[in-house]
Amino acid sequence: MLGARGKVVRLGVTGLVFGLLLAGTVVGSDDHFPFGPFSMYSSAHDPNAGVVSNTVEAVLDDGQVVAVSDGDTGMRRAEVEGQLPRFIEDPQMLEQLAVAHERRRPDAPRYAVVRVVRRSYQLRDGRPVGAVTEDIVAEWARP
Amino acid sequence: MGPAVTALVRWWFEPVALGRIAVLRAVAYAFIWVDVLLTTSWVADHADVPGALYQPLAVGRVLPLPTPTAGFVRGIMVALLATAVVAATNRAPRLLGWTVALLYLEWMVIGQSYGKVDHDRFAFLVLLFAVATVGRAGWGDRSRSEAAGWAVKVTMVAVVATYFLSVFAKARYGDGLANWLDSATISWAVVRRGTFLGEPLLQHPWTLQASQYGVVTLEVLAPLLLVLRGRARGLMLALYASFHLVTFTTIGIIFLPHLVAMLVFLPLERLPVTTGRQPSRTTLRGSPHWVASPPTSGDRS
Repeated sequence: MLGARGKVVRLGVTGLVFGLLLAGTVVGSDDHFPFGPFSMYSSAHDPNAGVVSNTVEAVLDDGQVVAVSDGDTGMRRAEVEGQLPRFIEDPQMLEQLAVAHERRRPDAPRYAVVRVVRRSYQLRDGRPVGAVTEDIVAEWARP
Repeated sequence: MGPAVTALVRWWFEPVALGRIAVLRAVAYAFIWVDVLLTTSWVADHADVPGALYQPLAVGRVLPLPTPTAGFVRGIMVALLATAVVAATNRAPRLLGWTVALLYLEWMVIGQSYGKVDHDRFAFLVLLFAVATVGRAGWGDRSRSEAAGWAVKVTMVAVVATYFLSVFAKARYGDGLANWLDSATISWAVVRRGTFLGEPLLQHPWTLQASQYGVVTLEVLAPLLLVLRGRARGLMLALYASFHLVTFTTIGIIFLPHLVAMLVFLPLERLPVTTGRQPSRTTLRGSPHWVASPPTSGDRS
C-alpha cells in the first residue's frame, strides 16, 4: 500500500498534469504539446465553401514535373501546410525541401524547381461540385 | 479530510492487480517498436530534414532541446528501441520505465516540431509515465496495489479527457458547437483524404453530417467509461473501437497510441499466464471472457 507521501506526490502530479491539460484546452495551442487542445477536425467548414488541399511538386533538370511525396523529403503534406505561411513569405525556404530530397534520395535526379500547388474544390451542400482549380502559391528555382 | 475528499482520494487509488501493469508494460513497450518502425515511421524521416524547418514546440524551447540532426534522430531512435525491449521484460521497471518515457517524449518532440501536431498520443504518454511509477509487477499477479491503481486511473482519465475535451476544442475552433455540428468538416476531411470506402459517402452528404452528431455524442459520453463496469463498459469500449475503425476505413486515420492506452480499461491481469515464472496466486481455468465480466467479479477458480 502507498504511504501518505506517495499519495500526496501522485495527487500533486495528477492535479498538475490535468490542470495543464485544461488550461491548454481553454487558452493553449498546438505549441503546448502534449497539453494543447485536442483540436483534431475541430474547425467548422462551410458546406458551400471551397476545400483547399496543398501538394508539393518538383521540376527535374530535364523539365519533367514530378509529385513530391512525404517520403521524398521527410516532410509530410500536413507539415508543409503547417509551415505554408513561411514558404509563401520566403519561397527560398523551399530549397530546404530540395536539400532534404538530396539527402534522402542521393541517387535520384535532383530538383531544379520546388513548388507548392494549391488545389481548390468547391462544395455545395457538403458535396464536391465543378472543376478543380490549381494555382502555385510558392515556388523556388535553383539558381 | 471531509468525506468527499476521502472518497475522491480513495477513487484515485482504488487498488488494481499488479498483473495488469505487467501486461500494459509489455504491450506499450512492444507498441513502441510498431510505432517507431511502422505506423509513425515518418518521425525518423525528419533525420534528413534541414534544421531550418525545425519549429520547436514550447517544451523544446523551454528545456531547451537541441535542433535535431541526422545523428541525433538516429541516436534517440536506437536508444528508445533498445530500452523498450529490455523494459518490456519488466526488468528494472522504474529506471527503464522513466528512460523509455523520456526518450519517447523527445521522439514526439522530433515528430511534432515540423509544422504539424498530432492529437492521438496524450493518453499513451500518460501511460508510459504512469507505469514507470509502479514497482515490480509480474504477469498474472493478482495482488492488488494502490500504486497500480493510480497508474491505471490516470491513464483512464487521460483517455476520457482526449474524447471529452475535444468537444471543447470543437466549440472553441468551430465557432460554437452548434456551428461545428452543422458544418461540413467531415465532408472536407473526406475530400482531402477519403479512401475508396469513404469517397462514395460524399454523394450522400447527410451520412457525413449525421456522423458529426454521432462523434460528438460519443465524446460527450466518454466520462461514463469511468463510471460503468462490466458488460456495459465492455460494450462502450467496443463502440469506441468501432468508431476508430470506421475513421480508419473512410479517411485513413487511426489513433493507434490512444487505442493502446485504452487497454487499461480491460482486466488484463486475467490473461492466462503461460510461463509460470511469475507469482500467480490464482489458477485460471476455462476461456478468459475478460471483456464481458466485471473486474470485481473475483476468482473463477
